[in-house]
Amino acid sequence: MTDVHAPQSQSPSAETDGTDPFGINETEPAGTGGGVTAGPPASGVGWLRWLWRQLTSMRTALVLLFLLALGSVPGSVLPQQGSDPAAVQQYFTAHPALAPWLNHFGLFNVFAAPWFAAIYLLLFTSLVGCVVPRTFRLAGSARTPPPRAPRNLERLPHSGSYPSTLPPEAAVAVAASVLGGHRFRLRRPADSDSGHWVSAEKGYLREVGNLLFHLALLGVLVSIALGGLFGFKADKLLVEGTGFRDTRAAFDEFHPGRLVSGADLAPFSITLNSFSASYLESGQSRGQPAAFHARITYTATPGDAPHSFDLQVNHPLDVDSTKVYLIGHGYAPVFKVTTATGQVVYDQATPFIPANTGTFMSDGVVKVPDAAPAQLGFMGVFVPTAVRVGDTLESAFPAPDNPAVSLIGYAGDLGMNSGVPQSVYQLDTTAMRQLTAAPHALLPGQTWTLPGGNGKITFVGYKQWVSLAITYDPGQLPALICGMLALGGLLLSFLIRRRRVFVRAVPADSGLGSVVTIGGLARTDASGGFEDEFASLSAELAAADAAAVAPAQEPEPTNQSETGA
Amino acid sequence: MFRAKRRTVVSLAAVAVALLAGALVITFTQGTGQAANPNLVVYQVGHRPKAPDFTATSLTGTPISFSSYRGKVTVVNFWGSWCDPCRREAPTLAVVAEQYKSRGVSFLGVDVSDSTASAQAFIRKEGISYPSVFDSGYVVTGDFGRVVLVSATPTTIVVDRTGHIAGLIYGSTTYSELTGLLSDAGVTT
Repeated sequence: MTDVHAPQSQSPSAETDGTDPFGINETEPAGTGGGVTAGPPASGVGWLRWLWRQLTSMRTALVLLFLLALGSVPGSVLPQQGSDPAAVQQYFTAHPALAPWLNHFGLFNVFAAPWFAAIYLLLFTSLVGCVVPRTFRLAGSARTPPPRAPRNLERLPHSGSYPSTLPPEAAVAVAASVLGGHRFRLRRPADSDSGHWVSAEKGYLREVGNLLFHLALLGVLVSIALGGLFGFKADKLLVEGTGFRDTRAAFDEFHPGRLVSGADLAPFSITLNSFSASYLESGQSRGQPAAFHARITYTATPGDAPHSFDLQVNHPLDVDSTKVYLIGHGYAPVFKVTTATGQVVYDQATPFIPANTGTFMSDGVVKVPDAAPAQLGFMGVFVPTAVRVGDTLESAFPAPDNPAVSLIGYAGDLGMNSGVPQSVYQLDTTAMRQLTAAPHALLPGQTWTLPGGNGKITFVGYKQWVSLAITYDPGQLPALICGMLALGGLLLSFLIRRRRVFVRAVPADSGLGSVVTIGGLARTDASGGFEDEFASLSAELAAADAAAVAPAQEPEPTNQSETGA
Repeated sequence: MFRAKRRTVVSLAAVAVALLAGALVITFTQGTGQAANPNLVVYQVGHRPKAPDFTATSLTGTPISFSSYRGKVTVVNFWGSWCDPCRREAPTLAVVAEQYKSRGVSFLGVDVSDSTASAQAFIRKEGISYPSVFDSGYVVTGDFGRVVLVSATPTTIVVDRTGHIAGLIYGSTTYSELTGLLSDAGVTT
C-alpha cells in the first residue's frame, strides 16, 4: 500500500539540470507503485517477485479490504453458527436445498471460514509487505539531505527574486540562516564551482504520519486477531443465592476464541446475593425501569477474600481483565413438589422468561422427571403484580407487588430419555395428559393438590435472576490505541506538506551586490497554503538581507552546510 | 488503456489465485487431526493431565476429599438431574459401577448446578449407589475445567491410580466406551 498520491504527476519543469527537486523521494522502489509495473515476467523468481509486488500494491490492498467488507456481509445477513445455532437450524429447515450449499462455503460461520481467514491474512501480508520497505525508505529519506538547487528557479511553481547589496556568498548565507531558523533542513554546495545556493526542505513529519497510519492499521489488525484468538464471550443466567465459577460448563452460551483453553479463563467466582429493580411509579413512562442493582460477591482466585460489588447496567465488574455485564433480569418462582408418599422431588427456583417487558408477565416450565407415579410437567405464568380480570390473571406492574402464578399441570412422560436434549424452557406434552381443564392460580405459600394421586405442588415464593455477559477481549485496548494512532498519523500526513525552498545568488550585472532568486515547490499541496508560506518567506528573506547590509560587509557565520533542522 | 485494463485483470486474477491457495492450505491444515470419535479423548501414559485435588461436600452433607481416591481407578461423572443425556446414561453408569466394584474401581458423581431435592430424587429413581459431590456453584467443575475441557454435562472422566486423567467421554456414556477407558486406565478385565 503506497501513498495515495501516485507519483506519476511530477513537476516537469524541475528537471533542468538533472537535479529533480523531488527525485529522491518521488522515485518509489519499483513494484510498490500501485500497479505501475509491467506484466509478469517469464522466469520463476521474476514471477514470484512480480506476485509479491502485486500483493503489496495499493490496489490489491484496497481490493482485499473491499473483499473483507464484502465477506462480512453474509455474516450479518445469514444466521451464524457461533452466535445463534438455533437460527441456523431453522434456516436449514426452511431452505433445505440452498442451506447445504451455503454451508459448503462456510457462510454460516463466515468469520471462521477458511476463505475469510485467507482474505484477512493476505491483507495482513499486503500491509506488512508495504509498510516494512516503507519504514526503511523513510529512515533513508530522513537522513538524505535535500537535493541540489536547480539552475533555473524561475521554472519552479513558486519563485521570486530580490536584489541584494551583499556579495552572492553572503546573501546565500543570510538566506540559509533565515531558513534554518524556520527549521528547514539545509544543504549548501560542497564547493563554489556550482555557484552559490542553498536547498532547504521541510515536512518530514508527513512521511512519519503516513508510516504511523500504516503501522497503526497493522496494529488494529493484530489487536483484532488477538481478541479473536484469545478472547471469549459467554452468557450466564444466575438466580439469587446461587453462584458460578468462570468455567466453560457454567455458561449457557460460550463463544471462545480459537486459542482459548479452559486454563486461560480467570478462575474467579461470582455469587448473586440479591437483585433489585426499581420502576417509575407514575407518569407517561410508568413501569419503565429506573435502576437495576445486582449485589454480587466475587472472588478473584479460589481462596481469596470475597469482595462485594454492586453490578449495574453500565457499571460492569472487571476481574482480571474479564468484564461482567448485567444485561437482563427476570423472576424465578420457587416450587416444591411432593409425591403422594411425602417425598420431595422438586424444590428450587425455576427461571421464567419475561414475555412482556412492560409488565414482566413471565412464562416458564417446571419439569419434575422423578415424580411418582408419573412424571409431572407444568406450564406456568408468573405475574409480578396480579390483578384478576375476569377469569384470567394480568400483571399491572413489573415490580413484584402481588406475585402469583398460574399453572397448567400435566402427567405422563416428559420425553427426557429420548436422547434429544430438550430446552428447559419447553415442555413436550405429546406423551402427557393435562391434569385439569383450567389453569390453577397460586399465591405465595399456597399448595395445589394434584388430582389422580400425583402429589402436590407448592408455590413457595419467588427469587429474581440476572443474565450476565462475560467477555474477555485482550485486543480491545490495543485496538483503541492503534485506532487513535492511525487517526493521528492520517491527520499528520494530510496536514503537513513536504516542501522545498531553493535560494540561488549570482553577482549583479552592475558588479555591486547580487541578485537572489528563490524557488519553492510543495509536494501534494492539496490543502493549499504553500503559496502564502512562500510569499511570507520571500518577504522575510528579503528583509533579512536588507537588514544584514548595515552591520558589516563580511559574511556572518551561518549554519553549517549539509546539516539542518 | 488496454494495457491498464489487462493489468487490472491480471492482478485481480493473481489475488483470486492467492486467495484460493490460502483457502486450500487452511482447509487442508484444519482437516487433519480429526479424531475418529470426537466424544472420546484418550491420554497415553506419560501424557496424562493431573487431576485436581479438591475437597467438597456430598449431596448428603458428608465431606469428600478427592485425595482419598488416590490408588484406585476412579470414574468422575459430571451430571445434573435437569440434564436429559445424564438421565439416559444413568443405567449404564449404575451397571458398570456395580460390575467394576470388585476390581477396585470407584465412582464419584459431581452434581452440577442442581438442587439437592431434585438430585436426590434422581439418585433414588435411577438406583445410583455411589456418592456425588454437590457442585451447584461449579467449583469442582471449574477445577477440572482448568485441566481438561469440561464443556457440559454429562462428561465422564477416568482417573488412573496415580491421580492422572486417562481419558474423557463427552455426552452420554456407552458401556463399551466406559469399559474401554477403564482398561486403558489399567483395570484388568
